[in-house]
Amino acid sequence: MKLRSPLPAEPPPGPTRPEFWKSPLRGPWLSSFLGSLLLPFILICATTGFLSQLAYGDNSFLPEGGLGFSIYPFDWPAGWPLLYALTQGLHVTSGVIAIPLLFAKLWSVMPKLFEWPPVRSLSHLLERLSLALLVGGALFVFFTGLMNIQLFYPWSFSFLVAHYYAAFVFLAALTLHVALKYSTVRRSFREQGVLRPLKYGLKQTVPEPYREDSTTALEPAMPTVSRRMMLGTIGATSAGLGLMMFGQTTFGDTFRRFALLAPRGRVYGDGPNDFQVNKTAEAVNVTPDMTGDSWRLQLKGEKTGSFSREQLLAMPQYTYDLPIACVEGWSTTQTWTGVRLRDLAALAGVPAASSVLVKSLQEAGSFREAALSDTQLDDDKSLLALRVNGVDISMDHGFPARIIVPALPGVLNTKWVSSMEFKAA
Amino acid sequence: MISLFRKAYGASPLHLLAVFASFAIAGYGFFMIFKSPAPESALLYFGFAVVAHDMIAFPLYSALNFVAGRTTRAAEPEQVASVGVPAINYLRIPFLISAISFAMFFPLILGLSSDIYEAGTGLDAGAFLGRWLGICAVVFTASAILYAVKLRRYSRSGTEPAES
Repeated sequence: MKLRSPLPAEPPPGPTRPEFWKSPLRGPWLSSFLGSLLLPFILICATTGFLSQLAYGDNSFLPEGGLGFSIYPFDWPAGWPLLYALTQGLHVTSGVIAIPLLFAKLWSVMPKLFEWPPVRSLSHLLERLSLALLVGGALFVFFTGLMNIQLFYPWSFSFLVAHYYAAFVFLAALTLHVALKYSTVRRSFREQGVLRPLKYGLKQTVPEPYREDSTTALEPAMPTVSRRMMLGTIGATSAGLGLMMFGQTTFGDTFRRFALLAPRGRVYGDGPNDFQVNKTAEAVNVTPDMTGDSWRLQLKGEKTGSFSREQLLAMPQYTYDLPIACVEGWSTTQTWTGVRLRDLAALAGVPAASSVLVKSLQEAGSFREAALSDTQLDDDKSLLALRVNGVDISMDHGFPARIIVPALPGVLNTKWVSSMEFKAA
Repeated sequence: MISLFRKAYGASPLHLLAVFASFAIAGYGFFMIFKSPAPESALLYFGFAVVAHDMIAFPLYSALNFVAGRTTRAAEPEQVASVGVPAINYLRIPFLISAISFAMFFPLILGLSSDIYEAGTGLDAGAFLGRWLGICAVVFTASAILYAVKLRRYSRSGTEPAES
């Protein structure tokens, strides 16, 4: 049954007419190729995004999912220090790479928005609705993510909730889209070859064969650019911006100063404390009189105790190279020295503690306390750091003492630690 | 039975099942956003995201491309135009790189979050405008040089320029 339409059978003049669209490059092959290029980056971005939620563990601001169970079947490991720097670096890098490709993809399917009649059948209507979710979900998730890494929040909703749950909308619509378009992709790759159109320069560039119901132009203009140059430009833009995101990670540290548009493509200087700061002491009102000689670390557990910085320095010290890895995708590895969290748990009389709640001197603002799991407590490399790169840690890095735990999201490595409360299993 | 369904619905029952599955998960996403603070703000942004490219960006850059196409075609030396050194690419490629990087990083470039940035990092937030302008300068200059070289090579040899 065709839906009875009040609209004329003939499209009105304008973009609804097939002859309105002139680009000789548009066609199923181009859209299939861009889609196939885009998909792996989106998959990496989505997977690492969900992993980040797992890494935040009990410290996530995300509301209860309403399911009655966690969709994450295991705990975030502490065994491989670079894990979070890797997954979150990939999250931001793959997301940034995907965005120019997404623009090209949206451009390539523009005529579809104006197809005539706008609705052919119930299935067609549902498919178009789902495409609105796909486009809206994609741009929403990418836009909010991009704004978050630039610390720009021109809205009143919660970034974390909206970014995370809009991803469900996006990925649900994307899965349907891939399923419905799979045969189109197969067919155009079979007919055109997967890579063959990339061989042709401008003079051999011809439109894809016209097919009704597709994005191929009915009356194409002369090409002014070859497909490979168009894709090359988009690809180079993606790659360039992706490299900049790579440059703000600990893996691309050598190129950090060339990561021009990366929020953390900045170098502080040559000193031992000159590396990326997440929040300055001044910004959260932690002042030198709070961190001076009167400062004591309060330990709570089976026993309580209070320790000066000198007493902590007199305990066995361990030194490890560990990264700070931020949810915003940047990371930096430094050499940290301090007391093992395990030793502090024993001091508090809870040698087999199942968790610890670490609190900061910071009196207001988010992430001034963090809960660490038993896996994180038990790791040899989990430290209450007192020194970095051979000197005392600076105020901005958390003097007199800060947490540094392998593979832990950066902001959970509490700075200016005031107390630690160990809990038995 | 199946063919009756197909006639009424316009596709196979599997299509409908897949659509329902997809809408159910998307619905869960929306439900959780509705439960969170300021869902109307999120919805407004979502609505904007649906039309941002197709209704706003696309008409804008298409119009620019149209004007650029006309202008460059008119300005191009005739014999060069006839063998196709399309000047427009030397304009739209650097423009595309500059425009996409601006569209993606405008808060940093314009310093829209400089207070939070400076409180967070302890660095001044003013560096990014210069960095972006530097990128623009490099891509436009490189493009101009490449075009000049190409024109010169053509006018010297009188043969068709190399493939682009």
